[in-house]
Amino acid sequence: MRISINHVTKEFGRFAALDDVSLEIGSGQLVALLGPSGSGKTTLLRSIAGLEQPSAGEILFDGEDVSSLSVGERRIGFAFQSYALFRHMTVLNNVSFGLKVRPRRTRPPRAEIRKRATELLELVQLGGLENRFPSQLSGGQRQRVALARALAIEPRVLLLDEPFGALDAKVRKELRRWLRQLHDQLGLTTVFVTHDQEEALELADQVVVMSQGKIEQVGTPVEVYEDPSTAFVSEFLGAVNTFPCTLDDGIAEVLGTEFPVEPLDTEGPQHRHGPAVAYVRTHEIELLSRERQEGVPAIVRAIFPFGGGIRVELAVEGYDMPVQAEVPRAFFESGELRINSGLYVRATNARVFPIDRV
Amino acid sequence: MAEALKGRNPVTEGPLTRAALIGLAIVFLLLFLIVPLVLVFAEALRNGVGAYFEALAEPDALSAMRLTITVAVIAVPLNVVFGLAASWAIAKFSFRGKNLLLSLIDLPFSVSPVISGLVWVLLFGSHAALGRWLAENDIQILFAVPGLVLATTFVTFPFVARELIPLMQEQGTTDEEAALSLGASGWQTFWHVTLPNVRWALAYGVLLCTARAIGEFGAVSVVSGHIRGQTNTMPLHVEILYNEYSFVGAFAVASVLALLALVTLGVKAVLEWRYGNQLASSHRH
Repeated sequence: MRISINHVTKEFGRFAALDDVSLEIGSGQLVALLGPSGSGKTTLLRSIAGLEQPSAGEILFDGEDVSSLSVGERRIGFAFQSYALFRHMTVLNNVSFGLKVRPRRTRPPRAEIRKRATELLELVQLGGLENRFPSQLSGGQRQRVALARALAIEPRVLLLDEPFGALDAKVRKELRRWLRQLHDQLGLTTVFVTHDQEEALELADQVVVMSQGKIEQVGTPVEVYEDPSTAFVSEFLGAVNTFPCTLDDGIAEVLGTEFPVEPLDTEGPQHRHGPAVAYVRTHEIELLSRERQEGVPAIVRAIFPFGGGIRVELAVEGYDMPVQAEVPRAFFESGELRINSGLYVRATNARVFPIDRV
Repeated sequence: MAEALKGRNPVTEGPLTRAALIGLAIVFLLLFLIVPLVLVFAEALRNGVGAYFEALAEPDALSAMRLTITVAVIAVPLNVVFGLAASWAIAKFSFRGKNLLLSLIDLPFSVSPVISGLVWVLLFGSHAALGRWLAENDIQILFAVPGLVLATTFVTFPFVARELIPLMQEQGTTDEEAALSLGASGWQTFWHVTLPNVRWALAYGVLLCTARAIGEFGAVSVVSGHIRGQTNTMPLHVEILYNEYSFVGAFAVASVLALLALVTLGVKAVLEWRYGNQLASSHRH
């Protein structure tokens, strides 16, 4: 099912949680709403679900305005961050709840309900746990029960609020892969909220980056990562260093190399002179040996030799804050990298945004 | 204990201090709780078991027991409904004047029971317009069962609501939202989700409410009129008998109240032991 969000605003008192947000979600897509806390991502998800009533704007499901439909009438499957399983009901009763509460004329017979709930539990790989209570399950199992319960009403769209937020790192990754498989298997339009960029980038077809009640950028994971359109997205995605710099005719010097200012998406005058900020990812900082005398002198302050890329913390001449770099393991193993040793650094890439003078 | 005696244990008080504190608590408990309780039964049984049951079977005593039960049977369900409605409103919705409502629910706790009775006398008494109108239409509220029920309901109002509000607030609204998103109606959500989530806290509140409804003296005394065999509840009957130097009778009825209190205590202990984690305020009482 296609979801259209047209100029939706949601105010809580004087605070605008959503500020004139418009978004198209294609049928069958897996979409991530990504942003820090307070960015409005959960409010947007709850507005789609019908758990919040927007102050202005409209939400369409397949072109039909659902603004006046209650959450129960919208036929959405909603999974809560805290799972919200009914603690006094068994797993089977939790999953069959949505079918049992239907009015008599649309309610399937008892045996049919039981059969469908059992099938759904098989689908989420929880067969055999029908008679357990939620308190007897692990976090990952609870999340899958919540998903099975949401799927039981045959929803038109699946809405997930921080689906992996309360799980430990290992389970989180497993469940992430599993959710992707489930989505591909069911083909259901799915929207999930997350503050974890890795989760959004690895799992979603489309990533919607949000900040302060507005959408900053919409695109595929590669698009938003490789080509961030705003300073916020540049800073939010990936491990990034922030360098203050100065624009001179659209060019800024960052760690000894010149980079052009990012083109503006919107209409209006582009600042080509004045203060700017450059965002350089950790792997875009190159370490050079002393002999080459290129770039900017730096001193190694700390080394974190874990994983394929080695993270290095540097004190760079002319910059107050420490600079983080990521270098290949081979460089670390060559023995050139030692704490307090001097070398040179250079930026291989940078995204430069002018600081708007308001 | 043995280890603590060997040397000074830095994490706790010395054995002497502990013994003194525990001893003090036990002596206090004996003096103020156990001794009076024993005395009630001793006095009631002073002239033997026969006299005890004779005193209880006396028509006025039976009538007092019937009246007390009648009042409790009406007042407690009323407060279950009011308490559920109030705590549902306060815990699950945000609205203007919520804090005022919370303070109002506590009002019966802070007002003297005599005042709680007096308000009904002022409202329905013969010198009030409403009272005169009721008298003209032959509707008896004061010095009759309706007055007793009103006074008891007022005094016992906070028990159920106070027990439910903290628990419902702690549980939040996501369970209800989940039920609604699955297509349940408001009533189905309440019946299948909200109520089961608070059932033990509700039972606890009902228990405390019942205990207070049975034992209430002050407010009931003001509106009762003390008509023997008609408007005397058990606590009032005890007072009358005592004032008439009918000690066996007074203590016999009092012993029934004491027994009810012991049963309440037992049930309360079981609830706290078995479902303590589901009683939000179990530490308060």
